[in-house]
Amino acid sequence: MQTLRMNSALLPDFVEALKAWGTVWAPVERAPGVFSLEAIDDPDRARPDALRTIVPFKKLLLAPRFTMLEGTTGSAGRPSDDSLRGPQVLFGAHPCDVHALAILDLLYMTDYVDPFYQANRESLTVVGYGCWPDQRCFCESLGTSSVDKGFDLALTPLGDRYLVAVASSRGDDIVQANQHLFQPATRQDTRDYLHRLKERRAAFSLALDVSDLPYVLELKKDDPVWQELGTKCLCCGSCSMVCPTCACFNVVDEIQDDDRSLRIRAWDSCLYLDYALVAGGHNFRDQRADRVKNRYYHKQEAFVREFGMPSCVGCGRCIENCPTGINVVEVFQYMRGDV
Amino acid sequence: MTVEIPAALPVRSAPRHLASGTNPYLPAPARIMRVSELVPDIRLYELRFDDTALAERFSFRPGQFVELSVLGVGEGPFSLPSSPTRRGSFQLGIRRAGVLTNFLFDHIREGDFVGIRGPLGNGFPLEQLEGQDLLLVAGGLGMIPLRGLLQYLIDLRHRFGRVILLYGSRSPDQVLFRDELTSLARRGDAEIVLSVDQTHGHPWTGSVGVVTELLDQVELDVARTYAVACGPPVFYKFMLDKLVERRFAKDRIYLSLERRMECGIGKCGHCAVGYTFTCLHGPVFSYWDAINLPELIYT
Repeated sequence: MQTLRMNSALLPDFVEALKAWGTVWAPVERAPGVFSLEAIDDPDRARPDALRTIVPFKKLLLAPRFTMLEGTTGSAGRPSDDSLRGPQVLFGAHPCDVHALAILDLLYMTDYVDPFYQANRESLTVVGYGCWPDQRCFCESLGTSSVDKGFDLALTPLGDRYLVAVASSRGDDIVQANQHLFQPATRQDTRDYLHRLKERRAAFSLALDVSDLPYVLELKKDDPVWQELGTKCLCCGSCSMVCPTCACFNVVDEIQDDDRSLRIRAWDSCLYLDYALVAGGHNFRDQRADRVKNRYYHKQEAFVREFGMPSCVGCGRCIENCPTGINVVEVFQYMRGDV
Repeated sequence: MTVEIPAALPVRSAPRHLASGTNPYLPAPARIMRVSELVPDIRLYELRFDDTALAERFSFRPGQFVELSVLGVGEGPFSLPSSPTRRGSFQLGIRRAGVLTNFLFDHIREGDFVGIRGPLGNGFPLEQLEGQDLLLVAGGLGMIPLRGLLQYLIDLRHRFGRVILLYGSRSPDQVLFRDELTSLARRGDAEIVLSVDQTHGHPWTGSVGVVTELLDQVELDVARTYAVACGPPVFYKFMLDKLVERRFAKDRIYLSLERRMECGIGKCGHCAVGYTFTCLHGPVFSYWDAINLPELIYT
């Protein structure tokens, strides 16, 4: 990996230069303290320092709703290009986002590769941005607070300049095409980076105890804590929608006016009542407690067993967006008997 | 006979493709060659892929399933009651149950096309079963996937020990593949015992009672026998206990389970139970695995 430096005043020029690699998506402030991930034209609108956008980058890869297949009603159908987004640049990805992207890659790009995901993934450029935690960030506990691969370029703010990590061939192409923006990094930059790292670590106020968590969950599978949680959770699915690694989907066919039909794919949530309903009317998880428990177990136990790591990256979006104030860290503390 | 069946691959492996095409969501057109009624509201469909090369190449493991699709109506998982030893075409056993199957029964005729994706799922552990005695236990519609396994065992008869089928139905008019099973038993290719819960006035010479009772009638060497069970939830509830009572090891009992399989390739999440995706790691599980996935068997 190559490391460079860039003067902070050049940030708008840098964002402008990224447009050559596709539509630039960046956090934009919609209301005070509320950010959404939007396609931007004016580089000054970009707020890469924003901690979390409501909906994460996953919408750039698989839209909330798109047509998978189309054709004459009754036919087998043919693939639609409705999902194709063309070249896109994600500007302002934090380490947790980059880790979440790796988790989605694991799900969609191994075994039976998802062609709709793959097409957008291969044309996505990822430009990271060093963040500073707030009281809802717990990535440090999950080992996702820093990142050394899975992105093209990453900027870390160091006062009047950025440290620029070049982590891919495409990242180097961007640098080569904009050499006037960059200079070699200095020893002082390294010292400042290490100092920032130390201060950033100290800035975390929330921690999730993940020691032996899959087995602890196994031991606690019949615990009354899940019933209690079931009475508090509305099963609205907000946490799934804003989660960067929640990727479940539902498929429905729609008949159009003109003898054509579409097979539509839309985001789904395991918290919804009919998620595990089968033919004949049996519902495997008809209780809210079963569904909310299933979501936690999937993230912290099942995914660990299948892929060797949890599918939670500690971004804090579910905490920020839960209408009844459920906090995943508090739930696990309570479950362990720590509070 | 040489039979090419797909290898049982570790899941979440390097990229691979379904036999039906490189886009795993895109069904391949298949023609309905023959439709016959097995019992009222359950039909046997024989299909052949329109693409000749695919039709000849298509193979699967008994116990695997396919997604049948009609664009504009929907898609659903169906098990294969035929065996890969019989190439060129394959069969599906379908019960009229909802929007898709109603459409199929009412509007799709011989000669029409539907879309097929597959084969999907893991299938029965055939290599492990070789050289062993096999006890197949079916309840109701559970006979559909087990008929595929049975055909496979019969076609490669010398590779297996005893083949025993215990099959329970609600009543004599609900027995699937009745003539075929009777003639298999008569030829001595398999030991077959049929039972019905009640005769409801139909002529019947077999047993009357629940299928679990049949288990008491057969002599078994459980150390060299695998049990393969398939049926509705209430069937598992009693049958699994009964097999354990007969001293079957829990990892020598296999069962095929139903879930809401939508994508069929371990992506959409609907059939996930704990760390397994029923469509990808299943639908065939050992009883031991099933016990350790609390939600897997519902009763």
